[in-house]
Amino acid sequence: MQSSNLSGLSIEGIAKSYGATVALERVSIHLAAGQVHALLGENGAGKSTLVKILSGVVRPDTGQMLLDGQTYMPGTILDARARGVATAFQELSLPSNLTVAECLLMPTLRKGRGGLVSARRTVAAAAEILARYDLRSVAPSALISDLSLAERQRVEIVRAFHHADRVLVLDEPTAALSDVTWLFDQIRRATARGIAILYISHRLAEVRSLCPVATVLRNGRSVATVDLRQADDDEIFELMVGHSKASESVRRSRVTVGAPVLEVRGLTTPKLADVSFTIGAGEILGVSALDGQGQRSLFYALAGLEKRLAGEVLVEGRPSRPGKPGDALRDGIGLLPEERKTEGILANLSSASNIVLPILDRIGRRGFVWPALERAAALESARAVELSPRYVSFRIGDLSGGNQQKALLARTMASGARTLLLFDPTRGVDVGTKEAIYAAIQAFADRGGSVLMYSSELPEIVRLADRCLVLYGGRVFTELAGPELEERTMVAALTGYTSAPLARGAAR
Amino acid sequence: MTTQVASLPPSAASPDRLVRLVASGAVIVTILYLILYGLYALWEPSALTAYTFGSLVNNTAPLAIAAAGETLVILARGFDLSVAGVISLTNVVMASYPVDGPGGALLSLMLCMAVGGIVGAVNGYLVAVLRLQTIAATLGTMIICQGLSLVILDAPGGVVSDFVADTLTDTLFGFVPVSGLIVAAVVGAWLMLRRTDLGVALYTIGTDEAAAALSGVRVARTRFLAFVAAGMVYGIAGFMLTAQTVTGNPNSGSPFLMLTFAAVALGGTSLSGGRGGLVGSIMGAALLMLLQKVLFSGGVSSFYTGIFQGAVLVLAIVFSRALTHLLERSRA
Amino acid sequence: MTPATLDPALSASKDERRVTRVRPELVTVLSTFALSALLIVASRFVSPALGSWGQAATVVSLSSFLIVAAFGQGLVILVGGLDLSVASLITLSAVLCTTWVGPEAGAAGILLIPAILVVCALIGAVSGLGITVLGIPPFIMTMATGIIVAAGALGYTSGTPRGSAPAPLLALMKGEVAGIPLLLIFTAAFVIAAAVLQQATGFGRRLYAVGASARAAFVAGVPVTRTVVAAYMLSATASGVAGLMLVGYSDGATLRMGDSYLLPTIAAVVVGGSSILGGSGSFVATVGGAVLLTTLGTVIAALGIGQGWRTVIEGSIILIALLLLRENTFARIRSWFPR
Repeated sequence: MQSSNLSGLSIEGIAKSYGATVALERVSIHLAAGQVHALLGENGAGKSTLVKILSGVVRPDTGQMLLDGQTYMPGTILDARARGVATAFQELSLPSNLTVAECLLMPTLRKGRGGLVSARRTVAAAAEILARYDLRSVAPSALISDLSLAERQRVEIVRAFHHADRVLVLDEPTAALSDVTWLFDQIRRATARGIAILYISHRLAEVRSLCPVATVLRNGRSVATVDLRQADDDEIFELMVGHSKASESVRRSRVTVGAPVLEVRGLTTPKLADVSFTIGAGEILGVSALDGQGQRSLFYALAGLEKRLAGEVLVEGRPSRPGKPGDALRDGIGLLPEERKTEGILANLSSASNIVLPILDRIGRRGFVWPALERAAALESARAVELSPRYVSFRIGDLSGGNQQKALLARTMASGARTLLLFDPTRGVDVGTKEAIYAAIQAFADRGGSVLMYSSELPEIVRLADRCLVLYGGRVFTELAGPELEERTMVAALTGYTSAPLARGAAR
Repeated sequence: MTTQVASLPPSAASPDRLVRLVASGAVIVTILYLILYGLYALWEPSALTAYTFGSLVNNTAPLAIAAAGETLVILARGFDLSVAGVISLTNVVMASYPVDGPGGALLSLMLCMAVGGIVGAVNGYLVAVLRLQTIAATLGTMIICQGLSLVILDAPGGVVSDFVADTLTDTLFGFVPVSGLIVAAVVGAWLMLRRTDLGVALYTIGTDEAAAALSGVRVARTRFLAFVAAGMVYGIAGFMLTAQTVTGNPNSGSPFLMLTFAAVALGGTSLSGGRGGLVGSIMGAALLMLLQKVLFSGGVSSFYTGIFQGAVLVLAIVFSRALTHLLERSRA
Repeated sequence: MTPATLDPALSASKDERRVTRVRPELVTVLSTFALSALLIVASRFVSPALGSWGQAATVVSLSSFLIVAAFGQGLVILVGGLDLSVASLITLSAVLCTTWVGPEAGAAGILLIPAILVVCALIGAVSGLGITVLGIPPFIMTMATGIIVAAGALGYTSGTPRGSAPAPLLALMKGEVAGIPLLLIFTAAFVIAAAVLQQATGFGRRLYAVGASARAAFVAGVPVTRTVVAAYMLSATASGVAGLMLVGYSDGATLRMGDSYLLPTIAAVVVGGSSILGGSGSFVATVGGAVLLTTLGTVIAALGIGQGWRTVIEGSIILIALLLLRENTFARIRSWFPR
């Protein structure tokens, strides 16, 4: 036992606080050489902090790490690399001004005459690296900014493989990949060479196919290390959230759908052709599509964030032609945007300020919005989404992703809009938060609101929606309702008539 | 010239890169300069003489070099207000401690660069290590430099060595202005720097500091060195200003503050970092100075020069944005 | 399931990690005012004539110009911009005041004072529109309007401004009500009104939102363009007011009147603890910064040392203030006291 502990990376009792915020309380994991070890946990459980510590971005406050029996405490990324530890980061860390070759070799490029950087040699060296990891499709001289998201993710992964001689950390490596075979091949080759891999993913199926063991992180502690061959999904969820998952998939039953609230006729944008539908009061209309089938364009055109080429939109019978989101709100349409970090939260401000933003003029008294009024209004809105009252006065940037999303949903609902456009409302959100968000959406519909909801997760649509539009190539491919609204039918519809294997967008 | 600068030379000469080059600030500002110079020549035939050109280069050199230094900091996503302080400080140092002869000139140049380098190191320490906001920190060092200038020389005056005053404003072989050679030397040093790891790192931290750090770039060190290098270049600018004005003035740097940023922006360097280059800033400075000259020879009251400078600044940026937009759309 | 290790204490899944609210703003405000008071008291050691209530009142009067101009600068910085046209607008409004209105102005002439402020606001609108609609960086746009306005003022006066202050302005700056200087009352009223506008109105809250993230604020329905343009208009107007006050104070205008105020407005905002990147800070803190800077100026002036060293000390103070007011300084101080 002792000898096996010497090879690989032992993390022992690591803790880290940022000011008063405790990110990691006590984490211990042993990564065995040549093994893929999964790290599971809800958003905000401390995974990203652990990744940063392993990569040398931050130093832990207490605890120690042993790499092959030697103390390992990197102060920088380069220290970590020097010890053979490298990370493929979730928030892709490739500077967009560089070429692929420069990215792979940074911070020391190949030199030519006079000690100056040689483009030719840098490209040649990078081509060799790319070939070593079967990524010949990416040109080493291409600019990062010209690559697709999937290509960037692959380059990020190749770079990590290139620098990882002992330990490799993969943080959500498949988020932008539609095909995982390449990655899994590389992982197998790396483990065969005796490299320890820490694999972080939300996708349990993926984790099961790769990893024999998993460590579950909860509230900054490593709660358990599990043999994945013997644990079922429910047991793992229970470890992650700390209680058993709430009653599975209660299909909402809707009897009455009221008068039409949102009518869309022939809506056309550069990415959307002739889309028509109607949502009644109390109805939830799902939208399902693979990535990039025009769903974003549909939501953004309705919310005034994108120009329309043709078509008509009526809200409770009145035409709605918003030029900006503020206009849409006045028409009664509220949007929960796709990108939480860049289009959603105001990271510096309190949750309260974030929540009351669209209703500032309404909550004011004689034009004055005193802090107490703001807080009272925010608390009331927070209740609807089960956002803990104590978070209302915190800086929203300090909250976990799930709580941020709750606050944003509270904002959209409090705006007074009778029609909500929810774009992937549970994106990157943990299991417990999802339940709260589902409940809030259902409650909103039960009160007579109407909802247009896109989700990248099919079970979510099946559970919440009354009907579902399937978009394909910018058009409504089909509409599913009643008994048709179940996952297998949807999977078939999502891919249109093509025989291509189901891409990842659907399974996310 | 924009993104391409930090990346590899366009051996493939892809159309994308050509578009980026044409739409870049350096090319636009050079074209504007040539047009304006053409107009100036029509107006004032003497514009084409070596003498006029030489004196124009002499007038431009201090601002051009100052703008070149500022570009280093701006590329790394920072602002350096201390440029005004360093120019004043080096100017009064030279006027208070003149050393004659070529050796003396070299010594003075070294001294100026050392003074600038020290101020730059202080800025770099405050910003890169102590993580103060760049505008605020360099505001402090600028004021301190202005104060030190007053301590050294409390009123305009002082003596500048004859060698510095004569040689640096002279022309070689009758048509190559010496000040132009100094500017060329700065450009040469820049072209070398661009092809080092430090040069690539400079653009990278300006583009995306977080990604740069995760890619192994030593962000603090790079930013620190950018400030030090910038300070040394301001020192050269102060040296050239002294050669040109032949006097010391504790406030001589103040007019440079705004003009330096104007030149950088005119030259197409993004004030949010990561894009642009030093050559554009130098051409931007040249355009500003030429504009002054043209307006003067056109009989426009010097009171109103600022109106034209401000308008050119706004128009150049609007123009370059519109052009980039059009070119990108035609590509799509 | 066979968990290799399971901590029994974890069966209850309560999140025990603490998150506390950090209020560095409050600490900043208190420390700037406390430092100012301390300096005034300490200056008694320098000269017995100093350290009195009278001196404190003088400092407040002297800082009033900076307070007013820094209010505008603070709003613009709050929305993530920067206003470099402050100096030119102070000068312009002063020059217009002495030439348009003048000392013998009647009731009709006095009506020109609001007109001057409207001119300033319009210039601010031009800056704001250039930034929002044309997408010109704030630094450049306000620098350009500043250069243009300065040249305009220079040309308009042919280099030598004439005239002196109208009587009402003289009264405002020099008059007293019940023994209290009118200027003090005016400044206090201005500070309260401005602080309420920034902290407790829908407009003020939207300024914070735009500064925190213009895109997210836009998506949430905030009229971003209108809000930003309004910030620049208010800043230009505040500079205009400061110019008028300076006319009343010095009974005349000069073309360099505003020059010594541009950098101090930025310094006051920054010393007050606002982020130069926008989205944070409060006006009361900026007032603290302005008072502190002015106090320092007067105390240093009383030391009887040369202009050069005085300037060096002023610059150092800015740096020291910046170093002391850093957020992690507070964290460190807090860590000295165990909970």
